[in-house]
Amino acid sequence: MSDKKANDAKIKTVSWNRRTFFEMLATVVTGAVAILTPLVAGVIAFLSPLFKKNSSPQVRVALLSQVPDDGMPRSFPVVTDHEDAWTKYPEQRIGSVYLVRQPGESEPMAFTAKCPHAGCFIGFKPGDDLFRCPCHTSAFKLDGSRARGDEEVSPRDMDRLPVQLRTVSAGDDTETTEVWVEFIDFQTGHKEAIPSV
Amino acid sequence: MNSALRSLVDWLDDRTGLRGLLHEALYERVPGGARWRYVWGSTLVVAFVTQMITGTFLWMAYSPSTQTAWESVFYIQYEMPGGWLLRGMHHYMAHAMVVLLAIHFAQVVWDGAYRAPRELNFVIGVVLMLVVFGLSLTGYLLPWDQKGYWATSVGTNLASQAPVVGPEIRKLAIGGTDYGHHTLTRFLALHAGVLPGLLIALLVPHIALFRRHGLHPREPLKGPDAMFWPDQLLKDSVAALGVVATVLVLALYGGGAELTAPADPANPYNAARPEWYFLFLFQFLKWFPGELEVWGAFVIPGLVVLLLFAMPWIGRSRQGHLFNVGMLVILLGGTALLTAQAIRDDYYAIWYERTEANADKFDASQAFLDAKQEAEREAERVIELARSPSRIPPTGALSMAAKDPYLQGPKLFTQHCAGCHSHEIADRIAYDSKVEPAEFRRTAHQIGLNLVEIQNSDPTAPNLWGVGEKLWMQSFLSPETIADANHFGYQGSPFAEGEMVSFIQEAHGEDLTEEDRKAVEAAFSQIAFALWLEAGTTKLVHPDGLKEVEELANHGRKLITGGLAEVLDSGMSCIDCHKFHDEGELGSAPDLTGYMSREWMIDFIRNPASERFYGEYNDRMPAFAAHDNPQLNQLDVETIGLIVDWLRGDWATPEAEDFSQTE
Repeated sequence: MSDKKANDAKIKTVSWNRRTFFEMLATVVTGAVAILTPLVAGVIAFLSPLFKKNSSPQVRVALLSQVPDDGMPRSFPVVTDHEDAWTKYPEQRIGSVYLVRQPGESEPMAFTAKCPHAGCFIGFKPGDDLFRCPCHTSAFKLDGSRARGDEEVSPRDMDRLPVQLRTVSAGDDTETTEVWVEFIDFQTGHKEAIPSV
Repeated sequence: MNSALRSLVDWLDDRTGLRGLLHEALYERVPGGARWRYVWGSTLVVAFVTQMITGTFLWMAYSPSTQTAWESVFYIQYEMPGGWLLRGMHHYMAHAMVVLLAIHFAQVVWDGAYRAPRELNFVIGVVLMLVVFGLSLTGYLLPWDQKGYWATSVGTNLASQAPVVGPEIRKLAIGGTDYGHHTLTRFLALHAGVLPGLLIALLVPHIALFRRHGLHPREPLKGPDAMFWPDQLLKDSVAALGVVATVLVLALYGGGAELTAPADPANPYNAARPEWYFLFLFQFLKWFPGELEVWGAFVIPGLVVLLLFAMPWIGRSRQGHLFNVGMLVILLGGTALLTAQAIRDDYYAIWYERTEANADKFDASQAFLDAKQEAEREAERVIELARSPSRIPPTGALSMAAKDPYLQGPKLFTQHCAGCHSHEIADRIAYDSKVEPAEFRRTAHQIGLNLVEIQNSDPTAPNLWGVGEKLWMQSFLSPETIADANHFGYQGSPFAEGEMVSFIQEAHGEDLTEEDRKAVEAAFSQIAFALWLEAGTTKLVHPDGLKEVEELANHGRKLITGGLAEVLDSGMSCIDCHKFHDEGELGSAPDLTGYMSREWMIDFIRNPASERFYGEYNDRMPAFAAHDNPQLNQLDVETIGLIVDWLRGDWATPEAEDFSQTE
């Protein structure tokens, strides 16, 4: 049986000329196109997340009365509508912010709880004098700066979010001041705060 | 051989060359005879086959989306017959594979088995090792539990720091800007399709090349050459069985693999750690502060991998080989050291005492241990709810957990109440000293008794443990306790010397005769029973006992609405200050109608300064939802309801329900 195979191979050996060259080229090209067409279609769909843009919603996180000017951080959830592919979650917690109002200040500072190092949730226990990240033990002072400066694992201070105070009236002559923040998601691991795109 | 069978084999051989193939596969020469040291490659193949088999069956029950991933794994683990064993084997075999890889790799380097002509096969082997790591990383996320979610989240965030294309890589890996459905669909496709396919595509040439070059014998040879079949294959099979048996024991011992609470993007899991075999990388990163991170996460690991690829060429000379062996020892030793250090850092608080010098280290470790314990409590509860007759709702386990007072109460209390109030058992438990404490704690959760303590070193409001319970009523009517720090005697309290405190203390005055004292005590006891029924926290009372309570409460109600005046020298009763159903007026003290009932407490928290409660006498407590327009309120009524239900111990107790059904 193997002798017969060898004979076949001998007979089919081609001689080089222009016609066979084009034949070979055509074979390679058509074969490659046939295989690559589905692959390209798949890769385009695969790359689609690259065209998704991150949004930075304006979110009402607290009433000003919940943030006394005692310089102590308070944690508030960031609740807004959130879409994940085919599902829309109304009023979903998408993160957390710390609001700190220094004595005498009218406007609180807002820090996102996401650690600039690797994105863990920075914790704060009432009474402590530092924010502490549970993952790689970064620590931050209550003004958001790194406790040990450049020796800290985190490459930068905690990320501040833009704050806006809005006054709403309740119809019955009472007025309330709300704290709104622009909830920006920052890239982790860089010295500068770069918003995620 | 039976002639029919022989002719069938002949027929097959004629058309496929089966005999030749089998001969090729089995009759490989083993120089120096079969040895145990040659089994490691085969054990890895068997480990991979185990993963393919168990993985395929797990796949048949797995559903990748954020509302179904945890849920389907929960079902595999807790409901599907044998599912826990299947999952346990897959889990522990993944661990075993890493160990076997380390052994196989170390042996090849130690023996110099990468030398010509085996360089290319060594390179393929290193790629295979990276593929196995990829399988571990992608598999860790699939259960979509807190542990996998947060560990993988840290991992992909680190990946996004890769120079230039980092953020794009992260987006492609997680299928968008945030973790979600497409993260799971992609990770599953990688874990169950792309990576195993790649592994097979590399394993075939790896084994083919191994056969082409022959086994790399370890000198000195111990005997005459032998054949792969059956000598070496027997040893290989025994070793493979040993590996599978070890994994089986681990799976049985562990009861399958751990499943923590469902992934919650808004609820950080502070004990997130990678699997133990990646702990060394996790620890390594702590050494690189700030922007040096890129060195720890990419440059150095990248260089190490490059070095691994280059080993066959470095090892061409004797010095080069020694260098490789030295590198191997340093890498394995360093990995072991870093792993030990990571474990020591995390469990520091168990093994060492806290001192001034190690305070930071100790606290970080304590925080890790607390988070771990809290996560275990959460997981236990979610699983209990999922197994209860109400099952998991279509919106998923996370939405179920979000509506559970037992899970949400402590978080909400800490966030909104613990600034002023504490929630501590300490001074209260003394009343029920008849109960054995350990037994008490064990059954407390099942019967809906709130034993979670939230401490406040400097409370400026009453201790809220056990609000609405009989104990609460009794201690607010007792002259010994009403003015202590847990009740009206908290720091800065305007009530510490208020009318209620002096009323109670004078009612129990020292100059009472023994007989009068007993009458006073009996009266207040009956009032406590009446208020207890107003609160309606009597679900733990046996139906027979409840009749007795009702009777006492009937007396109590009469005392509240005027009867007390005849017992006390002061001639006063409750309705002289409080309103109680149709008797008494609002305005000077809180309404006792439905006192500490769910509805009463929600309204109280909404606005304690309303006329129905403390009015102008309200001490600092904010109105959390005083407005009809929810936009103006600090909290929504549903959230307040969760806090109230948690304080009152009103949460679903599936096991207790089962218990009552069997009775």
